[in-house]
Parts: sequence; C-alpha cells; structure tokens
Amino acid sequence: MSGYILRRGGQSLVALMALLVLVFFLSRLTGNPTDLYMPMDASLDQREAFATKHGFNDPLYVQFGTYLVNIAKFDFGDSIFQGRPAMQAALEAFPVTLRLALITMVLALGLSVLIGSLAAYRPGGLFDRVASLLTISSASTPDFWLAIVGILIFSVTLGWLPTSGTGTFWHWLLPIGVLLVRPLGLLTQVVRMSMISALAAPYVKTARAKGAPKRRVVFVHALRNSMLSVITVAGDQAAALINGAVVVETVFGWPGIGNLMIAAIKQRDFAVLQACILVTAVAIFLMNILIDFAYSRLDPRIRG
Amino acid sequence: MGKSDSLLLKAAAFAALSVMSSSALAAGSDVTIVLDMQPDQVDACQASKSQVGKVIKQNVTETLTEIDPATGKVLPRLATEWSQVDPKTWRLKLRENVKFHDGTPFNGEALKVAFARLLNEKLDCEIRVKYFGGLTVDVSVLGEHEVEIKTNTPVPILPTLLSTVTVPAPSTPHDDYSRQPVGTGPYTFDSWQAGKNIVLKRFDEYWGDKPAVTSATYVWRQESTVRAAMVASGEADIAFNIAVQDATDPKTDFSYLNAETTRLRIDVPIVPLDDIRVRQALNYAIDRDGLKGTIFSDDVIPATQLVVPGTNGHNPDLKPYAYDPEKAKELLKQAEAEGVPVRKEIVLVGRHNFFPNSEEAVQALQAMYSAAGLNVKLQMTESSEWYDSLFKPFAENRAPNLFLDQHDNTSGDASLTIYAKYHSKGGQSVLNDKELDDLIDRANVATGEERTELFQQAFKRIHEDLVGDVALFHMVGFTRVNGRLEFKPTLATNGELQLAQVKIR
Repeated sequence: MSGYILRRGGQSLVALMALLVLVFFLSRLTGNPTDLYMPMDASLDQREAFATKHGFNDPLYVQFGTYLVNIAKFDFGDSIFQGRPAMQAALEAFPVTLRLALITMVLALGLSVLIGSLAAYRPGGLFDRVASLLTISSASTPDFWLAIVGILIFSVTLGWLPTSGTGTFWHWLLPIGVLLVRPLGLLTQVVRMSMISALAAPYVKTARAKGAPKRRVVFVHALRNSMLSVITVAGDQAAALINGAVVVETVFGWPGIGNLMIAAIKQRDFAVLQACILVTAVAIFLMNILIDFAYSRLDPRIRG
Repeated sequence: MGKSDSLLLKAAAFAALSVMSSSALAAGSDVTIVLDMQPDQVDACQASKSQVGKVIKQNVTETLTEIDPATGKVLPRLATEWSQVDPKTWRLKLRENVKFHDGTPFNGEALKVAFARLLNEKLDCEIRVKYFGGLTVDVSVLGEHEVEIKTNTPVPILPTLLSTVTVPAPSTPHDDYSRQPVGTGPYTFDSWQAGKNIVLKRFDEYWGDKPAVTSATYVWRQESTVRAAMVASGEADIAFNIAVQDATDPKTDFSYLNAETTRLRIDVPIVPLDDIRVRQALNYAIDRDGLKGTIFSDDVIPATQLVVPGTNGHNPDLKPYAYDPEKAKELLKQAEAEGVPVRKEIVLVGRHNFFPNSEEAVQALQAMYSAAGLNVKLQMTESSEWYDSLFKPFAENRAPNLFLDQHDNTSGDASLTIYAKYHSKGGQSVLNDKELDDLIDRANVATGEERTELFQQAFKRIHEDLVGDVALFHMVGFTRVNGRLEFKPTLATNGELQLAQVKIR
C-alpha cells in the first residue's frame, strides 16, 4: 500500500513540474502586463522603464531561468498589482474555496447516497420518479441564474437571508445551496444507477437468500459495491469546486481562489496565477491520492 | 405586487425577524459601502486609482489641494495658499495645527518626506507615473509651514497637480507599499480583512469639522445586481457602479456624469481613413440621439471632445455632428469618385464588458455604418488585447480600424488627456499634425486664459479640421444610496468618496 502511494506521489510530482512549466509559457504567450498596470496616459518611456524593471523585457529563457531558480527557493514572486508575495494572496484565498468545496461535497455525497439508494430501492416507484425529476432539473440548472434569483427571493423579497458576504451561519446558506444543486443532482443519478445494477447482481440474491435483512442488503452489500463509480464522479466534481467555485465566489463576494485566478489572468499578474495554479494543483493531487486510497479500501482487487 | 405576494410577505416577515438580527443591517452613524471590486492596494501613492481613492482619498490621506467638481477650480486642502515665484518655482503655505493619525505633526518636513516617497522609482506608484512622469521635484522647507517646490521644467498647473498629491505620515515605509495607511484625514484606517472588508473609523483629532459618519465598512461585490440588492435589503448604504438595468428605483438611484467619455479613434493614417471626407462621413452616419435612451442611458451627453464640461480647456463652442446619413453617403460618393477605396473593409474594434451594453453599442454603430454604405467588420477583444491595440507601436500592415475607446480625466485640466491621445508623440495617438502639436506644446506651458484658449483651439482642430475621432458620449454612472443618507454623487465620485460629506437624515 505505501509503495503504491509513493508511486502515485512520484507521478504527481512529475505532473506538477510539467504543469508549472506549461503555466509559465502559456501565461507569457498572452503578452506582458505593462499596459494593464500602467495608467493609460503613461508615456512610452515610462512603460519601457516599468517593463525593464520587472524583467518583462528579458528574453523568455532568462525569465524562465529566474522562475525556476526562485521556485527552487520556494519564492513564487510578488504580485505586481498587490505589491506583496503572490503565494500569500493564493494561500489567503484557498481556504475559503476549500471550505465551500468540502461542505458542499460532504452534503452532496451524504444526501445523494440517501436519495439515490431510496430511489433505487423501488425503481419506477413514486419516490424514484419524483427524485429523478428533481435531480435531473437540478443537475441542469445554471448556477449563476440560481444565485441571483436566490438573492432576489430570499434576501430582497423575503428578507430571510443576507444577500452575500461572510460572517454568520446564515451567510453560508445561499452559497452552499447554490453550489450543492449540481453535484447533488448528478451524484444522486449516479448512485441510483449503480445501485440498481448492484441490486440486480447475483451476490445480492445470495445475501437475500441467506436471509439478510433488506435494509442491510441495500445499505451495506450493494452500496459498498456501487460506491466506486460514485467516488469517481464525486472526485471529478470536487476537483471542479477546488479550482474555484467562480460563480458563487463572484456573486456572493466570497474571496476564493477562483476569483483570484480570474483576476490574475485578466491583469496578467503572472506570479499570482502561478501561485494559484500550484496551490490548487497540489490540492487536487492530494485529493486524487485520497480517492485512490478510498478505492483500495472499497475494492481489494486494486490493493495489489 | 399581487395579493398572494403580499400575504406571503407578511408570513415571511415574521419568520425573518429572528434571522435578520444576525445579518448586519446598516444603522446609526456607521455606514456600509459596496465597491465593485476589492482594491489591490491601499497605499496613499495609489490613491489616484478609482478603487483605492474611494476608500482612502480625502478620508485617510488628504491631498494638498482639491478640485471643485462643479467648477474645476482649485481649492485649498492641506496647502492653504500657493504662489508662483518663477516658472519653475512655487511656494506653498501649509495648514497649521494638523496632525497625522499617529500623532506626528504635519509640516514642511513631513511634506518633503511624502514627496520623496511619492516620486520613489522603486515603487510603481500611479500618482507618480500618471501626473509626475519626467518631472523632478525639489522640496525645500522654508519654515514650519512653508515650503518651496522647484521643478526641472515649468509646471504651470502645479496647483492642479497638487490635488493628486496625497500626504502619508513620515513613518510610512519608504521603499515598500503600506497596507495600513496613516494620514491626516478625518478617518483612520482601522483594519483590512483581506477579501472581506476594510473598516475606517472617525479620527477625533481631525483639523476640520467633525463628520457625521462615525465609521465606514467597505465591502465589494462584483455583480451589479447584488450591489443593488444590498442597498435594497438594507445591508449597505451606498452601492457604486450600478448597471442601468438595476437602477430601477428613482428614489435611491442617482445618475451622475462619471467623467468617462466614449469615442471611436479613427485610424487616420490608413487608407481609406486618411481621406477627411470618409472621416466626416463616419461622424454624420451616427444617430447619437437614437443611441441615447436606448443602448446608452438617457442621461448621457453627446460629446464633441474627450474632456467633460468643467475641465480647463473644454471648448463649449463645438457642436456634435448631426445625424445626416444622406450627407455621409454624398461624402463617400465624392471620395469614391476620386479613387478613394471607400468600400475597403474597416475593422471596428470593440471590447467585451467595457461598459454597460458596450457589445450592443458597437453592433448598432456597425449597422449605422453599413447603412451609410461602409464595409465595417466587428472585432471584439478582451481587455488585455484591447490594451495592446490602444498603445504604440501600432502594427505596420494593420487593417484600417475604428477603435472603441473610453477615457476619464478628473484632474480638471485638459493636458492630461490631449497629449497622450492626440499629440504626434502621444502614446495612443494616430495623429501627426504639426499645427496641433504646436497648439498642445504651447498650451502645456501656458497659464490662465491663454492656456484655456490654446486647449480649446486644439480641440477645435481635432474635431473640425482633422476629424480625428467619432466622439460619442460623456457617460454616466449610477449609484444607489440608502434613503437614510444624504449623499449626491458628483464628477469626483469615480475617484473618491468623501465620507465627511455624507450626512445622515
């Protein structure tokens, strides 16, 4: 097992290095940030001086060399717009996104397992049909629309919840609600489908024949076997969330990493962009290792 | 609102009472202000940036002079009097009995330190780059509250420029940006919870009148709908940059000239735009009245030049080109008869999310040009791409283009617009006209009425003789203000929000 994790870690490290190289060159392809930083009325001389001072006039290989040397020293550069270390900005934003993603995924997984299993219990029954309708519509609702409508209904018209921002328990409800809708719909569908096929498998018949209680058959025997595909899809959804719940962060004013990354791209604030990508990439690699670990716990065949 | 809605509301109101107590409601003499984005920095030397200025300018750090937004006149602030000794030398009297928030006195020495920091090339301060490029400024202290300022070249508008000079406390780090600015203003910078809010608190030892607002919390939301909703729900008191479609309540939503002016820069050197008749046709083909109140707000003012009325050098005698499609066609016909390839494809360069309805605006312009018989192709750009085309060097083999541009100048003087945009050496200028260059050069070193007249002549030359652009509109912004406050946005609102001017009803 530890050999397996070590191997996966090694692979991840190589991929991470490749990503850092790619991000460096791709971001430089967009041009240099001088014109975006300098006021519109700055003279050409001032622009030249700025670009030279920040190294944007150096040949690309020189810039790349400096970049590599600095990374080796764990120096990820300064944000030219914020005038402070880029990593500081990225690490400030990431926990916000991580918290949103974690809570959303825990709720989505828990609820989808419950709803999906109950729906699969009697496919075609009333509960199944209602659940299917709701989950299909929620999986296809645009989150941007949902967020704005949510604010207009719950904050402006009803006055129950704050429109946006952070601080109290109530501030979490709308953002989490909006974020939850899509993964919940999708995961419920996946749970339902794999449960239906698991419940039709011969081992379930055997378990039933042995006289195991029906609830135990569904929630233990079948569920465990159908979790593999659920975890795959959940991992995919979680990765998307960790990359920044951009719409929710934007609408509700949550200062997460998605927002920061988009601002960095627009401003060509390369150091911030690199720091953000590095942070999210590491998080996703860690998550993948966790998912592999979960696979191996659930399916002894993978442990090899 | 229907009967069932109001029933629902009543039922909801009860349930809401318990919840609302937990979500901050604006009340008392504390105000909450919603910006459209978080400031990147809060250093005094960046106060000319709109997001920074709205928080700290004149609240935390004050300037030496300020511009009256109504008249464009220079008013005293930390400097009470100024006089010119010779073309390169000015003397300032400084306000007495002024203290920084950290207790140190404001005097000549403090100003000297502040100037040295502002012009420190190790920092990329916008105020230096924007207003003091190429200038060296030598401050000598004549007395506790009197200084002499010497510059390397004559600066006739120094008092105007001093309205941009913020004065942070001498304890501010010289070579590094401050995230906790200390100034002389009516508010101290209390805290900045990154990503969340900035809080200012009233400074009780302020030299001026005691403001009504005791503390201000700044938050930021990118969505206009959300900003408007925050004032509607009572969570905030002032919301900036409300989109026209969200400014639905005439009791709380105020439009104001936001100092921005929209134009199309005509690519004058390139065929067929090098022909003046084609450029005139481009102006006659636009139905400005038709755009007003539809795609543009009803409150915009048709423009004739890039500076707004009230700016020194604005020429009030210029008239917008009338909408005359027949004349446009006639001019093009004449040009074509003389061999000008007027059907050649012209690229209209727009920019995504430039201003509300900017996409629709360029589509409408394209349609109007097509109707006049021109072959105009739309090209939408992202902001970074747009900036690349804004500045020299321009591509050699480029297609002739009309470039959607927007410019704001709140300094009160035309010089900060006209050189960059129209002088042959200006970074964004496509013009190369000796007479215009000469007018601009002379205006830049002139003072008083002569200066005003020279700038006015320059704008006349651009608008009538050269037809260097298609001036569109002086734009408006919308601000939503909670009914419990007395606050009217002005031309200055884009760059500052003086909390001391906000009253509570």
